[in-house]
Amino acid sequence: MLQWTLGKATGSYPDVPYEEKERLFLEVKEDPRYEDFLYGCYECGICVSACPSARFYDYSPRVIAQAMAREDVDRFYEILVEDIWNCAQCFSCVRCPRQNNPGGLVTLIREVAVRNGIQETRDVLQGYTRVIYKVMLKGNQVSPDMLQPDFFPDWGPWVQSFRGNMNIWRQAIPVDTLRGVTDAAWETDENTLRELYTIWFETGNIDIIEEVDEGLYELLVDVMEEELEEWE
Amino acid sequence: MSEGTVLIIGAGPAGLEAARSVAELGYSAVLVEKRDRLGGMPDEANYAKLTHHFLDAGEAIGELAAAATGHENVQVLTSSQVTHVEGEPGAFRVGIQNGAGAKTVNAGAIIVATGFQHFDPGRETQYYNYYSFPDVITIADLEGMLKAHQVVRPSNGQPPERVAFIQCVGSRDRQIGNEFCSKVCCGIASKQAIEVKQQLPDSRVMIFYIDMRMYGYWENELYWPAQEQYHVNYVKGLVSEILPKGDRLLVRGEDTTMGRPMEVTLDLVVLSVGMEPSAGTRSMAEVLGLEQNKYGYIAAGGPTGIDPVATSRPGVFVVGAAAGPSDLDDSFATAGLAAARAVATIRRSNGA
Repeated sequence: MLQWTLGKATGSYPDVPYEEKERLFLEVKEDPRYEDFLYGCYECGICVSACPSARFYDYSPRVIAQAMAREDVDRFYEILVEDIWNCAQCFSCVRCPRQNNPGGLVTLIREVAVRNGIQETRDVLQGYTRVIYKVMLKGNQVSPDMLQPDFFPDWGPWVQSFRGNMNIWRQAIPVDTLRGVTDAAWETDENTLRELYTIWFETGNIDIIEEVDEGLYELLVDVMEEELEEWE
Repeated sequence: MSEGTVLIIGAGPAGLEAARSVAELGYSAVLVEKRDRLGGMPDEANYAKLTHHFLDAGEAIGELAAAATGHENVQVLTSSQVTHVEGEPGAFRVGIQNGAGAKTVNAGAIIVATGFQHFDPGRETQYYNYYSFPDVITIADLEGMLKAHQVVRPSNGQPPERVAFIQCVGSRDRQIGNEFCSKVCCGIASKQAIEVKQQLPDSRVMIFYIDMRMYGYWENELYWPAQEQYHVNYVKGLVSEILPKGDRLLVRGEDTTMGRPMEVTLDLVVLSVGMEPSAGTRSMAEVLGLEQNKYGYIAAGGPTGIDPVATSRPGVFVVGAAAGPSDLDDSFATAGLAAARAVATIRRSNGA
């Protein structure tokens, strides 16, 4: 591995040993998808010009691709901790003339960050606990009962009104799968849920949750195991 | 007996190919070469493999020389120099000097194939310390190492772990006076980077550049494989200086696309020196009274401006790198064209 800048050889995270950064870097590179996601970079910037996130954040899909190609381990670690969460995973960047997939690289790096339970990654994902909880248990990511005044202060006084009369609002929807459902976006069939829970266990998805949020993990496992036992 | 004679000055790839073409068109070729060997710069500088085909340079140039010398219509004069030329298209009288003395050759047309020389990286504004640091070499020096399968640091004879090429040394530089692009160095550096990785798979190879100029198929033949199969790092940004760091070299530059200054320690730095008109090109331009451009190359273009082999003197044609930076493919193309033009000149003067 090569250090590109001697003066700042340790990057923005000097307390993290270089060997640890390198280990994570190699974990990304060893993913079988990696070779299809990064060929070579012209540094043409078409990925940046197509990237919605790049217009609003200090984020560049080109830098992701280049840092990986340069094997710049220190910059990689900054990306793992910070940059990847600015990506919307919309994959507009796959317009690349070399057929690189910077968004795919972000996917791989996110997976490594989560799998390794990086503290900054846990912090970032903290705000998504409720979403993960919903997705895992209901199969859809937002539900009417998530509309809580504390979380949506910018909605003003209306949020209280919606919240207080949620059941009435939902009863008014003339669609069978939505009518009166408040704890999910739409009514989810019991068998679908059981299949979903089986998938989470079988694919190891639930183990990934354990790496970043043990409390959430235990909560989910309790509910899902009970449901699956009942089924059997 | 042939219909007439074309005199060709310089027995590098372009001159050899011009001689062969003239001979195969049924005319006589007199090939005058200053050195005692044929093959020109690829032979003189001991090239390993040709850009862009990866052909063995010795074999390829040897075949070229054999094709020319093996033809009954070709007469080769080595260790010989053209001293003066008089006459007009169809009837030039060319004075030639060699160890045996002076003689005059009658020729209907003349082709100048006197080529280029490598830029001397010790010249002027270069802070690369070519003459001070043994581990700073040129692409011409590296060719010899690659040929011998001995890519080492000259300072200690050990294989380098980290190798970097610096592009545009002696080209595209107003301060040096060479404002032109030398055309081939991007391809050569990429070719050599691949060869270094083939011979030293564990090495790390970088190329510092201004623009990569990989036109046509050089893109998929050289640039992409270097980057994708051999993981050569192309870094947009030139090196300002090379400094000693322990027994290694420290290079300073800007990694422009990553937006940061860059300092990297290296074992071997290869300067991608460009082309300049050779001494032979400069002196033949004077002997033949040919117009030169501001860089000393023989001015080509003719009245239309787009004829790559026409010079300012009717009946005299220029091929290959004597007219400006040229790759082998273009040298071949101009050689064939000039052979046709030379033969046509003779036929016209014969009343054909």
